[in-house]
Amino acid sequence: MTLPGYLVVALFLPLFPFSMLFNRLYALVGPLWARMFLLLVWPQLGLLVLAALPGQPPNWVVYWAVVTACFYAFRAVALRDLTLWIAYMATSAWSLLWVMALFAPGDRLLVLQAVAFSAPFVLLAWLASRIEALFGAAYAGASGGLAQTAPRLSVLLVFSILAAVGTPLFPGFFALLATIAHLLPVLPGAALVMLTAWLLWAWAGVQMTRGLVVGPAAEEPKADLGLAATLLPGVLLAVLAAAGVASLGYLA
Amino acid sequence: METLVPLVFLVPLASALLTLMAPQGLQRDSVRISIAGAVATFLCASGLLGLALAGHTASEIRFGSTWGVLLFDPLSSLMAFVVSGISLIVHVYSRRYMAEERGYATFFVLLDLMTAALLLMVAAGDLITLLIAWHLIGVLLYFLLGHDSASHTAHRYATWTLLTYRFGDLPLLLAAALLYHAFGTWSLHGIFAQLAGTPDVETLFGLPLAESVAALVALSAFARSAQFLLHTWLPYTMSGPTPVSALMHAGIVNAGGFLINRFAPLFVHTDSVLHWIFVVGLVTAVIGSVLMLAQNDIKKALGYSTMGQMGFMIMECGVGAFSLAVYHLMAHGLFKGTLFLGAGGVIGEARKDDGVPKDDLYTFVVERRSARQRQPWLLMAAVTLVVPVTILVLAHWLVAEDFFQKQGAVVLLFFGWVTGAQLIFSTYRMRTENIWRLMGLILFSFTIVVLGYTFIGHAFDVFLYPDEAFRSQIYAAAGIDIFWFDTLVILMSLVVVLGWLVTYYTEQNGRRWKGALNTLWQGFYTLVSREFFVVNAYARLSGFLVAAATRLNVLLRWS
Repeated sequence: MTLPGYLVVALFLPLFPFSMLFNRLYALVGPLWARMFLLLVWPQLGLLVLAALPGQPPNWVVYWAVVTACFYAFRAVALRDLTLWIAYMATSAWSLLWVMALFAPGDRLLVLQAVAFSAPFVLLAWLASRIEALFGAAYAGASGGLAQTAPRLSVLLVFSILAAVGTPLFPGFFALLATIAHLLPVLPGAALVMLTAWLLWAWAGVQMTRGLVVGPAAEEPKADLGLAATLLPGVLLAVLAAAGVASLGYLA
Repeated sequence: METLVPLVFLVPLASALLTLMAPQGLQRDSVRISIAGAVATFLCASGLLGLALAGHTASEIRFGSTWGVLLFDPLSSLMAFVVSGISLIVHVYSRRYMAEERGYATFFVLLDLMTAALLLMVAAGDLITLLIAWHLIGVLLYFLLGHDSASHTAHRYATWTLLTYRFGDLPLLLAAALLYHAFGTWSLHGIFAQLAGTPDVETLFGLPLAESVAALVALSAFARSAQFLLHTWLPYTMSGPTPVSALMHAGIVNAGGFLINRFAPLFVHTDSVLHWIFVVGLVTAVIGSVLMLAQNDIKKALGYSTMGQMGFMIMECGVGAFSLAVYHLMAHGLFKGTLFLGAGGVIGEARKDDGVPKDDLYTFVVERRSARQRQPWLLMAAVTLVVPVTILVLAHWLVAEDFFQKQGAVVLLFFGWVTGAQLIFSTYRMRTENIWRLMGLILFSFTIVVLGYTFIGHAFDVFLYPDEAFRSQIYAAAGIDIFWFDTLVILMSLVVVLGWLVTYYTEQNGRRWKGALNTLWQGFYTLVSREFFVVNAYARLSGFLVAAATRLNVLLRWS
């Protein structure tokens, strides 16, 4: 029962090549709400099955998970399509939940951790749809100059990307810090691969930011987000940062 | 004091928030809030330094059980004073300089946030707070350097900076994880206290903990302070606004020296890490200075000059002169900040007069000025070699009689000697009607500088590390076997003396083997002008990696 169980979990807390299913599915799903739902629910299903399995994942699964995280982070470096980028980065982040499951003091915290991982991607999915509405595609390089064309949208985009790549004070930073602190003495090799994934996240994040935000303003004026439309995601990001700070107790 | 310590970090944070929240129409005026915040921060930091100078004992202010510990000690108060001072100058300068730029108010918000992050870093009393500040500085610097959101060039180099910084963040994170694993606390005070009790504790794979962690901390410092092979971001970040260049070169890049000082209680338990730090610093100092000389762009030359200075600062740490490194970073910060803020004026002057020295024949025939006078080369060589070393030895002897027992001090004296000799040699080549008068003035300045440097260095030593036994421990950790040390000193002295004699002789009597030397020289110049191809190698590597990632994506059908 354990091995088939792990294989099921490998679909939802994606391990390569099972991860390809989520990425294909995410690209195929059309409506925005469905994408946002998928981003929020997918890892939770994995955690649900994982909690039902006896014992802890073996070490080889942990190595497989960190290599998957690194693999997708590396591939995200070359991406220009924001939608694909979201799927790859989410895959990379969720696969680390396998490692976190080893050390998390309780299932509830792990669930919250998965939500904290997913939240920036949910926001990014929404922002991608707004950029597509403005430019026809959310494509780095082709839809550049957002900072000049739609400043509010670009600020939200930058903060969401920062949250997604594990920047302090967002929860991803503290989760990774805690996991590495616990993992390093047990599986030093896996911890180093995890650190490499983190470095690659930063590279992928900055590439996407440059491609979308930097550049001269669009020739035709575009409608920026209204104050109300900016405020809600802004508050969500602030709550995320606050949650990150609050999660510090876990480090002890 | 309990109020002042958090205030130093909270005031710039508050002023950033207030500037950000100013109504749309008043945003240009809102920078006054930011400047007022910078003044208040500087006053708070001055107050802290005053308390430290008055002899208030070091203490911790805790905001949480695991993290949020702020330190009040000589190092944090001194660094807070320096950071807030430079930040204030940059704020005031930027008020007019940035007035025509887009995102004027945002720039000040970022400046305030950067100041807050730097101040948090210098006051951090636990590893988590330190890591948060350390990471945030890299991120904020990216946005400051890429302030012009329309400029792809600025963002390209800002990306280099961010990635180098992130690369440097990881060793510090590993070091933190190893320390936490070994001692079960994030508190720096707790870690150092436990380490002092069990300095021989081992970590992963049976490696000595102190040695391993010190190496990781040093690696992190290297990335932040642009040591060779991790330096490429520094000279290329000139597309950012000038005030950011000033802040970066005067403040941010010095973080490496600060970090090594903060972990001094760890470094005293190491055997060989400080030697490696010395080697890396030395290589960086030499390469940075050589690259600086080959530049024709003033800002890039300043960038490489900073690299050379950072190499020297790291080298000082490598010889155990930790507090001298702090003095160096302060002095360098002030003069480099001044140079950057004045770079625009220099460029303006250069448009009127290129400053290129005229040919001797031209000066004699057209300007009707006498040809330069030269004294006998042997006499000048003797003056060059003897005078600086006499001044340096006397100055150090005045400060500490046991000076020659400290290897680090001897190494620094060596560098002072070479620098002084180069100064006198430059005088020898200068065009002047009264060479002795000019040389007298230069020697007087050199004496003042050396005396100042020695006395202030000693004062910093006593202020930052009041425990004499601890100071000796640092020097002992940096020391090497006396036989090898003496052999190296004698060998290097002979090489330097021989080098200067050949230089003077060649200057006076012309070069032999001109053809062969020219070929060699041209080859070397090509290498230097291409910056040793390091930038090209990194560009190739990143291009290769992106191409490989694209191929993988295609192969796996983008899923």
